[in-house]
Amino acid sequence: MNDLKIVSTQSTPLIETDSSRGVIYMEGDSYPENSFEFYTDLVNWVSAYLNDSQRPLVLELALLYLNTSSIKVMMDIFDELEEAHQGGRDITVNWRYDVDNERVAELAEEFKEDCSFAFNIIGQE
Amino acid sequence: MFVPDLYGLRERFDNEKILLCFNGPISRSLIEEIGNALRNYLKSEQASPASAIDVFAVYIELTQNIRHYAMKAELSGADTATVVVSFHEGHYHISAGNVVHLADGEALLANVQGLAHMDKVELKKLYKQQLRKPRDEDAVSGAGLGLIDIARKATAPMVPALKDLENGTGYFSLSVQI
Repeated sequence: MNDLKIVSTQSTPLIETDSSRGVIYMEGDSYPENSFEFYTDLVNWVSAYLNDSQRPLVLELALLYLNTSSIKVMMDIFDELEEAHQGGRDITVNWRYDVDNERVAELAEEFKEDCSFAFNIIGQE
Repeated sequence: MFVPDLYGLRERFDNEKILLCFNGPISRSLIEEIGNALRNYLKSEQASPASAIDVFAVYIELTQNIRHYAMKAELSGADTATVVVSFHEGHYHISAGNVVHLADGEALLANVQGLAHMDKVELKKLYKQQLRKPRDEDAVSGAGLGLIDIARKATAPMVPALKDLENGTGYFSLSVQI
């Protein structure tokens, strides 16, 4: 399947996928005006990956600030991962943040509340 | 020729502790550029990372709400935003306003007043409910979460205002303390 390699802009994060290793990498801020449009490719990639095989999926996140429409899209993605996890899929989220910025940890924590798969929030000095 | 009173304007900015002010048609790129200036300012003032992110978040939600409203409202001048960020008595204040259909302004006023009186636990519950709502097919954004998110970040009840412009429109503004 085709992997994504989306470079970051001031208001959108870097997004890379690696279907051979089962990894999604996202880094930066996300506050595009039209988040649903921006995230269409990623949402489609996740669905295709989950349909394609039973292999594990790991999300390596270093996201900082998300506007509410980006939060909505991410929640939709996490919901789909949760459903896959309920179906026996191995899903892991590793969300790294700078320990000086507790808002990022709080944001990650609110997503984690609704997920039963491995969701690691990792503070870095 | 007309010469604007720049010193008078500057004095007013200084007196009202205004860090940043914009009035005019707001575009996606302007929101980003002004946001960038705001972030740099907060950094240079050594605001804590948490308050810097909160101020920036409120600024983004307020201005993107205006953009989304202007795109669907079909109302001349709705995209002209007034945005002010100021610092008073240890708190940042973010205010934004634009012209709206009076009926929309009244509905918004009631919505904000309802949110302003909820405590943080009630707001979180409402936020999670809203997050779970399927979004309208044709809604480009307006996840409906913006105002709730602002209310959750505010350190005092949000203050909305609606000025009737007596032609079926009104000037709606919202002020938020961080």
